[in-house]
Amino acid sequence: MASQTVKRAIKEVKPILSLDREEARLRVLNLYKAWFRQIPYIVKQYDIPRNEEQCRRKLREEFTKYDNIPDIRVIDMLVIKGQMELKEIVNVWKQKGHVMTYFKDTIEPKPQDFLSKFLNGKE
Amino acid sequence: MAQYFGLDKIAQFFKTVKQYGGLKASLYKLYRMDSLRPGTLVGTDKYGNKYYENPSMFYGRNRWIEYAPQYGLEYDGSQVPAEWFGWLHYKTDLTPDKDPSRPKYKWMADHTENLSGTSGQFMPYSTTRPKIEPWIPPKRC
Amino acid sequence: MLRITLGKIIKGAKVSPKYVYITTRALSGPAKPPENVEVFIDDKPVHVPPGTTVLQAAALVGVEIPRFCYHERLAVAGNCRMCLVEVEKSPKPVAACAMPVMKGWRIKTDSELTRKAREGVMEFLLVNHPLDCPICDQGGECDLQDQSMAFGSDRSRFTDIDFSGKRAVEDKDIGPLVKTIMTRCIHCTRCIRFASEVAGVDDLGTTGRGNDMQWGALTSKPYSFTARPWEIRKIDSIDVLDAVGSNIIVSTRTGEVMRIVPRVNEEINEEWLADKSRFAYDGLKRQRLVTPMIRDNNGELKPVDWEAAILTVAKVIKCAGPSIGVIAGGMADAEVLVAAKDLLNRLGSEALCTEHTFPLDGSGTDLRSSYLLNNKIVNAEEADLVLLIGTNPRLEAPLLNTRLRKGWVHNDLDPPKLAFREQWEALAGKEYKPRPVVASIGPEVDLRYPYENLGSNPDLIKQIITGSHTFSRKFKAAKRPLIIIGSEIFERPDGAAIFAAVQTLATKSSCTDENWKVLNVLHKVASQVSLYYRLIMGGLDTPGVDKIREGNLKVLLLIGADECSINKSDLPKDCFIIYQGKLFIFNAEFGKVPFSIFHKTIKHSFLGHHGDYGASIADAILPGAAYTEKQATYVNTEGRAQETLVAVSPPGRAREDWKIIRAISEVVGAKLPYDNLNEIRDRLDQVAPHLTKYGYAEDANYFKQAEQLAQSIQGNIDNCTPLDVKIKVLEDYFMTDAISRASPTMAKCVQAVLKQKQSKY
Repeated sequence: MASQTVKRAIKEVKPILSLDREEARLRVLNLYKAWFRQIPYIVKQYDIPRNEEQCRRKLREEFTKYDNIPDIRVIDMLVIKGQMELKEIVNVWKQKGHVMTYFKDTIEPKPQDFLSKFLNGKE
Repeated sequence: MAQYFGLDKIAQFFKTVKQYGGLKASLYKLYRMDSLRPGTLVGTDKYGNKYYENPSMFYGRNRWIEYAPQYGLEYDGSQVPAEWFGWLHYKTDLTPDKDPSRPKYKWMADHTENLSGTSGQFMPYSTTRPKIEPWIPPKRC
Repeated sequence: MLRITLGKIIKGAKVSPKYVYITTRALSGPAKPPENVEVFIDDKPVHVPPGTTVLQAAALVGVEIPRFCYHERLAVAGNCRMCLVEVEKSPKPVAACAMPVMKGWRIKTDSELTRKAREGVMEFLLVNHPLDCPICDQGGECDLQDQSMAFGSDRSRFTDIDFSGKRAVEDKDIGPLVKTIMTRCIHCTRCIRFASEVAGVDDLGTTGRGNDMQWGALTSKPYSFTARPWEIRKIDSIDVLDAVGSNIIVSTRTGEVMRIVPRVNEEINEEWLADKSRFAYDGLKRQRLVTPMIRDNNGELKPVDWEAAILTVAKVIKCAGPSIGVIAGGMADAEVLVAAKDLLNRLGSEALCTEHTFPLDGSGTDLRSSYLLNNKIVNAEEADLVLLIGTNPRLEAPLLNTRLRKGWVHNDLDPPKLAFREQWEALAGKEYKPRPVVASIGPEVDLRYPYENLGSNPDLIKQIITGSHTFSRKFKAAKRPLIIIGSEIFERPDGAAIFAAVQTLATKSSCTDENWKVLNVLHKVASQVSLYYRLIMGGLDTPGVDKIREGNLKVLLLIGADECSINKSDLPKDCFIIYQGKLFIFNAEFGKVPFSIFHKTIKHSFLGHHGDYGASIADAILPGAAYTEKQATYVNTEGRAQETLVAVSPPGRAREDWKIIRAISEVVGAKLPYDNLNEIRDRLDQVAPHLTKYGYAEDANYFKQAEQLAQSIQGNIDNCTPLDVKIKVLEDYFMTDAISRASPTMAKCVQAVLKQKQSKY
């Protein structure tokens, strides 16, 4: 009885793209590959001060950031957003600065605890 | 003939090296000024800068300055005093000592080079009163 | 002339022969309250008690009649004529502010005649008024400007500029606070009435009539030509320069306090504000501590950043362990006090002290009734007998004195014979209130109203209790007696005994009203009351610096304590002996220093420097925020918690006070459990729930119990030392704390007072 309700609950969730986890995984892999193949062109086209190796590492980092998401609808949503980003890059709707925002090296993390806020004059 | 084969250039080179006082001194000059030019000394200003002329070279390169040795590599155009500026930039052909018409007054200020980037540079400052007057601790006596 | 009218007009208007009609009607039924009369304002009916003026009746139906001279809190003068309205069947328009309504009157506030009358009045006013509003300080917040836009004529008939010109009068110098612009005066006489009724200073007056009649439009002198009303930001706040806690509006522009004006709070300051509170704001900009400072090896105070300052201070505190003490000054807010107290307790110390002593014998600070102005400021005007003991309310709490004076002025009929009393009550339509009897024990001071000085011997209190003094008869007879005891009494060695005697005296009154609290304590500084809450929380503590003097302290933290209660006389001698190792002192002697730490290593020759400079003994200074720069809780002398708001940011590297303590606590290793304002307010709430009930004054009780506890007090009253107050004359008033001492305006005030004293007029 209880398992039926659970099943029904699972059934009633409306999928976005993928019907199961495997399908979602494939979509992620597809997107990853697409990005991976685009990297040489990005480096050339946008003339960014990063080489392909660094970009690949960043790409991996961006993907592994979300590697423990259980909900396939969230995964689908992220895939869609990733595709949109890729499209913006491929079509040069983005500019160099937008690409470089993936590498947020210059941004200092904001002070979190009281004492560092106090010493930084944020408090 | 020698001129045809450019041999006079070699003679010229040796003459120049000799004028600069040997090979070592010439290499230092080349390192410091990026060019070796034979020329006649036309004058020296009171800061020790030497002014040379070589009419055989083309206009624009035939007058130059050799900055005083104390500047080392830290020389720049603003170290040329006003009286030599005109000669160096072809405003006049008369060097300061040969030009009697130049004004000379007591109140004329001494030349100063551009001090930007040094401790003597001009810093803009506010002339408005500060909004908060801080407490200044009394000095120990 | 106006002094006479004030009494006459308030009540006398109703008994003047002109309106015998009401009088006779009222007399016919003595006990019965007079019936309301019906009048029509713009055809809207309204029922008002007889004696109501046309203007007040109009206000009841939401019609505002323009006025210049009329002011709710002042006597009616009726001389500007701006409030002229048409009354049906009246041959002439009537002045609404002075005319009581009659039954069935139909008042037309927007008729052709009314508008024409207003236009005419406005034209007459502007004939002699300059029209250069852009150069006038009042521009933008000027009643005349607004009303001439609303009610004035739309064109000028002023053609004789070449002929006679406008009235021009030379400006007068009436001191450093008020600027007169004589040509802009419209003779509303508000200033004169204010001075003589509220302030009790009959310095202003008028002479002559028409063009010869002169006073001047008054504007603020320090504020002149500094800012415009439309470009300033207004922030509601609380004044902390005395213990009254007046409500103020802080006007700021470009991160600078431009002026401070009063905010209406009927329970505290009505709409008035004391001179010091209003004009000492320029002290907020001078002598400020803007950066932390640490004394270097050469003995000089050197600016450092917060990291270095906090680390140094924390290291010293850590070494000292429980041998740490805190002295809190007069402008410390409740947040910093609770933080300091928590830090001390975590370090194992109890030595949180105030600059002002309070006796702990008897009930001490355990019962609120023994340190509050229990009867509330607003009720001071209801008293029929006031006994001031060791206090000078005019200079210690000017707005409380205003209330006392109000009681004296507005109940200004001599005690009538009982036979006529009922008639009087019927006539006036209210209960008869006699003018209060004011007496004082203490030095002879000027209160701006007559009072009886009983002398300054503390023994007088005992004499009144036993009935051997003539005043005790009056005291026993009074229905609503008020005893106001100044906080300076507690600083005497026999303060506890005197206070016990006063507590006994308070219970001896014949007051039957339970809500009327006879015993009242008037404090001088804003932080004192909230400090006592800290003390309750701590259990045992010593208010006053005695403990600091005795204790074997290594670190002393002064939170804006600048009254020289310890550093000047006690430390130089004692320190060398008692304070081994290091000593921290906060000192605010020199600057506007709400918060600073001094720390001293004994290595330096200590004796030589102290006496000269309080500040030169400082070893660490931690700059804090003044009351306009922080959101902080203050409790006024009646126990009312109020909140200041941030008007400008603290200067330089200064920080909010409690955050400094919080930061030190973390480095010391005794982390306090609050990171932001809400969390520390929760802690405040834990300590004393009424501390966060802003605007509300909790009643104090247990007077009997306090009195019984007081009986246990050992020690006798020292009858040889007369009661005294520190602030006796006006020149003492202006510079009493760190802010007002740094204020150039206040310094000018003192100079002006001294100069006037020497003047032969």
